[in-house]
Amino acid sequence: MSQLDPTIDLPLAAPPRRVRGRIRVPGWVALLLRNRKSRAGLCMVLFMVLVALVAPLISVAHPNDFNLLAARQAPSWHHLFGTTDQGSDIFSQVVLGARRSLLLGAAAGILATGVAAILGITAAYSGGLVDEGVNFLTNVFLTIPPIPLLVVASGYLKSRGMVTMAVVLALVLWAFEARILRGQALSLKSRDFILAAKASGESTPRIVFGELMPNMISRIAAAFVLVFYIALLTDAGLEFLGLGDMTKTSWGVTLYWAQTNSTVLQGEWWPFFFPGAALAFTVLGLVLLLAGIDEVSNPRLRTERPERRRLLAALVGGRLVARAEASA
Amino acid sequence: MRWFARRLAFYVFAIWVALTINFLLPRLMPGSPLGGLLQHLTPSQLSANPGIVQTYEALLGGGHHSIWQDYVTYLHRIAHFDFGISTSNYPTPVSEVVGRTLPYSMFLVGVAFLLAFLVGTGIGMVAAWRRGGAVDSVFVPVFMVLSAFPAFFTALLGLYLFGLKLHWFPIQHAYDNGVIPGFNWAFLSSALRHSELPILVVVCAYAGGWVLNMRTVMITTIGEDYVTMAHAKGLRDRRVMTRYAGRNAILPPLNGFAALFASAVGGLVFVEFIFSYPGAGYTLQQAVLGNDYALAQAILVVLSVCVILANLIMDVLNLVLDPRLRTG
Repeated sequence: MSQLDPTIDLPLAAPPRRVRGRIRVPGWVALLLRNRKSRAGLCMVLFMVLVALVAPLISVAHPNDFNLLAARQAPSWHHLFGTTDQGSDIFSQVVLGARRSLLLGAAAGILATGVAAILGITAAYSGGLVDEGVNFLTNVFLTIPPIPLLVVASGYLKSRGMVTMAVVLALVLWAFEARILRGQALSLKSRDFILAAKASGESTPRIVFGELMPNMISRIAAAFVLVFYIALLTDAGLEFLGLGDMTKTSWGVTLYWAQTNSTVLQGEWWPFFFPGAALAFTVLGLVLLLAGIDEVSNPRLRTERPERRRLLAALVGGRLVARAEASA
Repeated sequence: MRWFARRLAFYVFAIWVALTINFLLPRLMPGSPLGGLLQHLTPSQLSANPGIVQTYEALLGGGHHSIWQDYVTYLHRIAHFDFGISTSNYPTPVSEVVGRTLPYSMFLVGVAFLLAFLVGTGIGMVAAWRRGGAVDSVFVPVFMVLSAFPAFFTALLGLYLFGLKLHWFPIQHAYDNGVIPGFNWAFLSSALRHSELPILVVVCAYAGGWVLNMRTVMITTIGEDYVTMAHAKGLRDRRVMTRYAGRNAILPPLNGFAALFASAVGGLVFVEFIFSYPGAGYTLQQAVLGNDYALAQAILVVLSVCVILANLIMDVLNLVLDPRLRTG
């Protein structure tokens, strides 16, 4: 990162530990690990990723195997999370479903981040009509309710494969991030190193991709975490409504069958509780991670914070706190 | 006033963009949705409604006209709210289906969102006023965790716990079987009773955002000189909290209204689906699953317009509350 950029306090605040003969931990990772919130969040998310990775090893049955003799069983040692109406093992569905849910959320998040970063940063740097236009489009997309739009859009799709769904999600969700990144790029654009690049005659794409983006990498990462969890929630929600790829295993699909077979109304809590809790757990982890990133990159949030408030923010995340404080 | 004129222009433009997205979506997707829709009508039904195919072609594409011709016809039909016949409710016109379902949704989301706002800002205000007090240490963390949960997970939990286990609320539909919708006491009381749990769920899911926003802004407001001055004048504590600090602290959170309301309308789809509540959200999901694209399009248009209107109302309220906007 450029020494010219004073807003990036990450490398300055924590010089990477140099331990000979060991892998050096990058400064920002060390910082994130030192913050309690982001440490907890990171652990929760990594735990889910780990579960997704080893899913085939720990799942006890094929997720769609049905066995009507073992249908609708409450959680027991034999079926940790119980069984569905068809007698499928819910534990296997949840751990294997983690793969598709996380992958789709991450893919949509990466795509949306790409669109948002390019649009938001270019707009902020170019200013003028381009900025007006992008800003306007962003606001329009924030006004149109995203879930109904996605429901209708995915309704038209013939096949709802991973790539298609990721693209559709990204196209609707990019606006959340574009607004944040644009604001942050605006504060960077009049800094000396950008002016220097401009004075030396560099082209707009070169400045955007070569100067602005590398210096915003930590903010882009934070924006990615935000849109990752929104995408995760939205995708699970769409599948829950029956608008995903229903032949695959994922949290949303398990929830959809739980709802369609009206298991809740029959007093069965396990078919919806476990996939829902897995989703809530992951989202909570991401929110905590985000809160930690906020605190690390914005030291103001750390100071003058009484213990109770810290506890509170640990529960939900300081992102909203940060936003409200910034707008205050 | 210039500010308001700009907002108004933005909303008009936003509605136009929403209509255009609605127009382009089915045309951009691979394969025409027209076939899927027409499958649901028998030849005799088609011949009984001359011109119906043309209406669908204007809405969804797949006809022999150029896209510009279609666009003009489409805008013309929308202006007259003519979306043809709803195939899943044959022979009811789409406009009638929308008119029947919309009041339920507007009531649900209107009341719930207003309550979420009142409860959220109220708790946020009191929590900030008495930091570390009972409200601050009990309600705030609870709402924080709830707002990190996916809305449909909260809804399913509420349905299971309060509806099924504790029998506090009716669990499905908008009114009791055997009650005929109309303007009479039997129907209204039944409808009110049935809306309680869905409203509670939406409040739980969306109040957290207001709590956090209000609380953080309030904390900075308390430090202002005019609050100290009000205390010095010997005004009652409650009056200082509501009329002086709260009155000013409420403005920044109101700016986050647009995005929060748009996402609450999304949450409405899930909540209505879970409670089989016959509002626009549930109807939208059923329409999309049943290839009734004309109905889905109409609902998307109506929901977008509703969100934009709500924003407009909010802007007027902002104008009333914030004198800076009137002079600026």
